[in-house]
Amino acid sequence: MRARVLTLILVVGIALAALATVPRFAQLRGPGNNRGYEPVQPLAYSHRLHAGELQIDCQYCHSGAQRSRYAGIPSAGVCMNCHKFIRAPRSAVRAEELAAKEEGREPLRVTSPELAKLYQALALDENLEPSADGEPQAIRWARIHQLPDFVYFDHRPHIAAGVQCQKCHGPIETMERVRQMEDLSMGWCIDCHRDPFTSGGDAGNPVASTDCVSCHY
Amino acid sequence: MSNMGSRDDLKAVGIDVSEGDVPGRSKKARSKKAPSKKAPSKEDSVSAGFGRRDFLKASGFLVAGTAMGCTRGPVPEAVPLLEGTPEMVPGRSSWYASTCGACTAACGAVVRSRDGRPLKLEGNSLHSLSQGGLCAVGQASLLELYDSQRLLKPWWRGEATTWEKLDTEIEAALNAAAASGRSVRLLTETLHSPSELAAIARFGERFEDFQHVVYDPLSTSAILDAHAATHGRRVLPRYRIDAADVLVSFDADFLATWISPVEFTAGYRKARDLSGEPPLMSYHLQIESRLSLTGSNADERHAIHPAEMASWMGHLAAELGAHFGEGLAQLKPPAGNAPPPVVAMAERLSKARGHSLVLCGSQDLSTQILCNLINHLLGNYGNSLDLEHPSLQRMGDDGALAGLRRELASGQVEVLLMRGVNPVYDLPGGEELAAQIRKVPLSVSFARSRDETASASTAICPEPHFLEDWRDAEPVRGKLSLTQPLIRPLGETRGFARTLLTWNGEPKAELDWLREVWKREILPLASASLSPDSSSSTVASESMASESMASESMAFEKFWDGALHDGYVEVRRPAFEVGPFDGSALELVTEEAGGGTHRDGLSLILYPKVAMLDGRHAHNAWLQELPDPVTKVSWDNYASLAPATAAELGVEEGDLVKISKAGGGEDLVLPALLQPGQHGAVVALAQGYGRLGTDRFAQVGPLWLESEPTVEAGGTVGSRVSDWLDPGSGQLTPVVHGVEVTAVAGHQRLARSQVYDDREVPEKLRPADGHPRPIIQQASLAAYTEDRSAGKPHGHFPEADLWQEFPLGQHHWGMAIDLTACTGCSACVLACQVENNVPVVGRDEVRRRRDLYWMRIDRYYSQEGENLEVAHQPMLCHHCDNAPCETVCPVLATVHSEEGLNQQIYNRCVGTRYCANNCPFKVRRFNWFKYAHEDATANLVLNPDVTVRSRGVMEKCSFCVQRIQEAKISAKARREELAVDAVKTACQQSCPAGAIVFGDLADPQSEIAQAVADPRHYRLFEELNIEPSVGYRRLIRNRPEEEMGHADPHA
Repeated sequence: MRARVLTLILVVGIALAALATVPRFAQLRGPGNNRGYEPVQPLAYSHRLHAGELQIDCQYCHSGAQRSRYAGIPSAGVCMNCHKFIRAPRSAVRAEELAAKEEGREPLRVTSPELAKLYQALALDENLEPSADGEPQAIRWARIHQLPDFVYFDHRPHIAAGVQCQKCHGPIETMERVRQMEDLSMGWCIDCHRDPFTSGGDAGNPVASTDCVSCHY
Repeated sequence: MSNMGSRDDLKAVGIDVSEGDVPGRSKKARSKKAPSKKAPSKEDSVSAGFGRRDFLKASGFLVAGTAMGCTRGPVPEAVPLLEGTPEMVPGRSSWYASTCGACTAACGAVVRSRDGRPLKLEGNSLHSLSQGGLCAVGQASLLELYDSQRLLKPWWRGEATTWEKLDTEIEAALNAAAASGRSVRLLTETLHSPSELAAIARFGERFEDFQHVVYDPLSTSAILDAHAATHGRRVLPRYRIDAADVLVSFDADFLATWISPVEFTAGYRKARDLSGEPPLMSYHLQIESRLSLTGSNADERHAIHPAEMASWMGHLAAELGAHFGEGLAQLKPPAGNAPPPVVAMAERLSKARGHSLVLCGSQDLSTQILCNLINHLLGNYGNSLDLEHPSLQRMGDDGALAGLRRELASGQVEVLLMRGVNPVYDLPGGEELAAQIRKVPLSVSFARSRDETASASTAICPEPHFLEDWRDAEPVRGKLSLTQPLIRPLGETRGFARTLLTWNGEPKAELDWLREVWKREILPLASASLSPDSSSSTVASESMASESMASESMAFEKFWDGALHDGYVEVRRPAFEVGPFDGSALELVTEEAGGGTHRDGLSLILYPKVAMLDGRHAHNAWLQELPDPVTKVSWDNYASLAPATAAELGVEEGDLVKISKAGGGEDLVLPALLQPGQHGAVVALAQGYGRLGTDRFAQVGPLWLESEPTVEAGGTVGSRVSDWLDPGSGQLTPVVHGVEVTAVAGHQRLARSQVYDDREVPEKLRPADGHPRPIIQQASLAAYTEDRSAGKPHGHFPEADLWQEFPLGQHHWGMAIDLTACTGCSACVLACQVENNVPVVGRDEVRRRRDLYWMRIDRYYSQEGENLEVAHQPMLCHHCDNAPCETVCPVLATVHSEEGLNQQIYNRCVGTRYCANNCPFKVRRFNWFKYAHEDATANLVLNPDVTVRSRGVMEKCSFCVQRIQEAKISAKARREELAVDAVKTACQQSCPAGAIVFGDLADPQSEIAQAVADPRHYRLFEELNIEPSVGYRRLIRNRPEEEMGHADPHA
């Protein structure tokens, strides 16, 4: 009796333990099922505002795309090219100006809380001068578009071939927070490489290579 | 972005992330959790006999299981730089010119840097000495930068300390020495860095009794001393191998380890250029006692007893003297008749007067003086030997070293500084020396690790690796190069010059000092050629003066930028003043030199190995595993014996032998190795083994049930043999006569990466028609001059072809290797290893033939005795168009690309190993294990452009496809066509002989297309119709037709 009960418990236990590991195995995801991934970023940077509304060229910030394998995330120094001067949304500045006028005082300097994080990372003080007590600290963005280690993707030939950024990254200019749109699977890559309209070749003879070593080496 | 080295950070961050971060993941996790939490309570009610303990066991099990399911993978981060620099684009490589610091030859190097770390050293083609080549040791020195056991802090009396504290202590001691006038000694290896020499001069000024003693563990001191006797100046000539039509080398292994092998290999290649009309080829004679790499390439080779070396030299001098009718009154006539080869040699040399060269690697002063006499008689001084702009690569003075040792023994030395040397290991009587160093009031070592000498010293002031430091070098007078840092120093190390200057009370950063010295000393030598208009500003007005000051500083900036960019600069140093040949020096030739007699027993010779040299790189796993180019043994030293001698002793390969000195002393027990081509009365031992701290390799290989450690804990790799160096004659002589070799019980299997030697196929394995396969095709120079396809086998191959034509794309990559140029130096093997993340497998796995080299060099012997022929054949994936491996892969993990590449796709491979079995070249290597990649610092050396393979996959040469892709993509990004010969593979780039040609077979302009059109070109196994993309160019030897071995009886 006792032995039977133990056996039963053991069997149930093993079954449950096996079941419990399912989420773990579910994490061994192939490339492709990360579509829709939209993590919270350390800074609430808006692509909708910068790329959409202000129409800043993608490669102004992601300049690596034409020079390197990685498009790269811009260094904080690139942000400072503009944000040395622009410290808050125009609306906030205007509101403060109006309020100051009403109250008959000098307008205060307005700094958006998100930009304050940028200045903090660079260890800059009120006047955007290097502060004595601050330590510069790198901004740790959450990475979204990630290919497996055995793939060597290179942005350069795609830029050179005139592939739009949106082709792979989706309508970034509409996204407040960036989200992965395509599944980045090998099949998805190959579809495009085989398509004469996107790869620039004629039917049956696309320009983009489908050799394994184009990406795997 | 590379997130190497920050994995721990990632993990830490991963745990912190809130659950909502990954949609889909956390929900799943929660839903699976729910039933498991309920489970225990249900079970609890199943039976009354189910006790508390059982319940706890079961619930514990379940909780553990549930918890296991709850962990989440790390959220990958992307961390950009806060402030970017225009040169540093993540993922893009830049190349910087620098100087190799692995040995005193100081070859030019360019270093690849990506994401802030150096990843690959290659030869600098702008450097006129190394000419674009870089040897295996130089390339492997990269690994030492990322050595996690390197000393990164100064030490004082056995404890880590800070520079401030150390400086205070040492400055006090130095001041006391300066005040009391007691002796301060600086012991270094050869130094030819102008900035360091200037710092030493500045440092030495303060002391009344300061002396800078230089020695080389691989000493050539006798050459310098001989020139002091014959030409009135201690100088090492610059040997111009390229200017020699007849080259005689007495025991100088100049293609492998002697003075400056990369420079000499380039010159050797130049002197053996078959492309001209008629083809030119120098005649290379090698006279040696063992089979060296250089000897294996010689056209004529004589294995003689080391004691005969002097008498051969004497006879040669006498023959030449007689030939040119010069009275050599001072020369004692050598006893006996000249050996016939010497007569022939003299005949040949005399015909090439002025464009011949006699090299001598001996440490015997008499022999070297005779060698100078011979070169003088042949009129080679000023032609193939340059004394006015000599080599500065070996300046060691064994006489001065002996003087220092006497001082140390008598306890006269107050301060001893040791830089770049490890005398306790290098020199005979090391233990005694260590005791003497301990007694010196202040001994300072500048070593990068706690080596034998550093552990005996009072203080250790670790120097940075040369890839972290600003330095310069002047390997040949007037030819300078700069070393620039490629990475911020990984620890608190400090450059040698800076340390000396700090102790002198004038601390200067490395770069500031270097620039100061260059502005003061080098610029004036260069400015004549730089700014011809500067002399016009002679008007002495004040504004003009300040202007000229400004222009001078601008001229320096221009000069500096140019030198830094090229890494190399030539300046006009005034010629060294040397006297004419002084015949009275011949008085110094001792009686002994005249008549060499064999003594009792065997003679022991010590020699450096290509990878190990003097042992300074013994902590480098890449070099420990690199097979010796001749013996193909790695991870060990051994007693080389001629096969006949071994048979007499009754030992076979791997059997232990005991070597004992006639006069007593410690015995040495080593495994025997049978070496054809070696003199019968000689036992040869490699230096550089038995270094302290090599037990770090105990765990270098994979750990599994039957694995044997590469080295026992507390042991060393190989045995130290420096105690056998003989300083008796005043020179550190690597020859000991009258040793006794006896067989002792025991056997140690050597780790040989090649287990066949003979080019002839054994009888039982021969194909039905009985013809051995023409793997090495060769011809004599005479036959080649007549017929450019000489050596081609006369067989014809079956015409039938079952293969469909494979449609090729725009490119068709191919390679051709010139067997005439290849010396077997193994630079390519190491280049491939660095470039392609080839792991080190350890001694046991090499023994099991599981080494993972993508490129190996096969070495074949044919014929015997005097006529022994050696051939070196680099072997790599041949990227066959009809590839046998591809047809047998069940999962299509190896397929053909439209550019003719045989692709190996790791993520498809399931490890059936069918492909390796079907490969006729046996170049496919299988990952039996997951080879160690746990050392985070060492992992920084991995090339991020190449996948690190895991257990269970096949791998092989990819033709450096990452370089092909990079070249294609960057051309595309520039919207240009791929330039001709734009791609250089790693092996091709580093080859000091330029033996490897790679390129696009489809492009008629390419170098490879021309190489394939050469009638000397052939491909292996053509009879199998595999259509390899790699071919060879026949081996042409400058030896009489009748002495040539023929692999193919049809030829």
